[in-house]
Amino acid sequence: MRNRRTRLLAAPLLTMLCVLAFAGPAQASGESVGACMAEHLEELVDQHDGDLHHVLHDEHVQDELEKCFEAPNPILPETTEIIWGGAAFLILFVVMVKKGFPAVKGAMDARAEKIRSDLDAADQAKADALAVQADYEARLADAKSEASRLIDEARGAADQVKADLMMRHEAEMADQRERAAVEIESARAQAIADLRAEVAEIALGAAERVVQSSLDAEVQGRLIDAYIDEVTGSNG
Amino acid sequence: MANSTVTSYAEALFAIAAAEGDLNAVEEELFQFAQAFRSNNELSSTLADQTVPVSGRQQVVEDLLNGKASATTTALVSMLVGAGRAAELPAIVEALVERSAASRNKDVATVRSVVDLTADQKDRLATAINIRTGKAVEIKVVIDPTVLGGAVTQIGDEIIDGSVRRRLNQLRESFR
Repeated sequence: MRNRRTRLLAAPLLTMLCVLAFAGPAQASGESVGACMAEHLEELVDQHDGDLHHVLHDEHVQDELEKCFEAPNPILPETTEIIWGGAAFLILFVVMVKKGFPAVKGAMDARAEKIRSDLDAADQAKADALAVQADYEARLADAKSEASRLIDEARGAADQVKADLMMRHEAEMADQRERAAVEIESARAQAIADLRAEVAEIALGAAERVVQSSLDAEVQGRLIDAYIDEVTGSNG
Repeated sequence: MANSTVTSYAEALFAIAAAEGDLNAVEEELFQFAQAFRSNNELSSTLADQTVPVSGRQQVVEDLLNGKASATTTALVSMLVGAGRAAELPAIVEALVERSAASRNKDVATVRSVVDLTADQKDRLATAINIRTGKAVEIKVVIDPTVLGGAVTQIGDEIIDGSVRRRLNQLRESFR
């Protein structure tokens, strides 16, 4: 891991070093404005036999010097720059092919492998999670089913108990009503019997007093005669 | 059923009354006294009271029966009171009456009524009972105001009830 990281860091550093190392000559070959003006002045001085004063007052010198202010070709670089750049590119390309690309490829492969492994692990974890979820959902469904069953059983038992209690209550009420009716009827019959007996006692008491006061000796004699006739009559 | 003591005293009374030659009168007087004794609590309690001297109780008997009963009857009752058998007097007299009737081959028919029966009524009733039960009976009347009217006859265990009281009771039962 550390080697891979080192190689990944070394590749861009090496590339930058190469660019910096070959950048100097390229800049030098491109010439600055000052250097361009100095070179033209030197050539003009040589052409005028070293007469600097004449060169400085010559109207064409200004035209020549102004050429130094003209921009280089924006498309085609200087030849030296192409050479140095091509060499640096080749060197860099070789280095990248030999060192950087394998390192990058190894890192990418490792990374891909790690991602694949992570994905596999994630898939496995997902599968495990799904299994756990399925198991949980199954247990939850079982629990819900069991709870529903228990609730149904409890409701059924409660309904049965309620029905039993209602039936028992109705039976007790009917029994109580029947007993009450019997008691009422018994009390009514007893009251009637008591009243009848009381009335009878009163009437018979009165009748007895009337009989006692009205049965004189003559009537008593007739009653005894009737009794004798009754005894005689019952014989035959 | 009379016990041996009652029977023995009844036999003794029967023998004495028969010996005196006035059995029917003595029997009737004893029967009437026994009814009075049974219906009068004061008399029965006095004659049966052992704390009262015998002479005193016998004097009560003589005072009650003097001039109303024969000397034989008075003497027999005094004898029973003196022997301390006043409490058994009704049973003894009842046994005497039965014994006397039995000597004439008859049973005793005890008739309870408010008034006494005439001789004709007694004869007709005895005839009716004889026809009804096949028994020759002698009528003994017990005055009982609770009968109200008519009569109730008992011959042994058989009862012939023709009283007004019975009819009132039947009427009472019909009201229930």
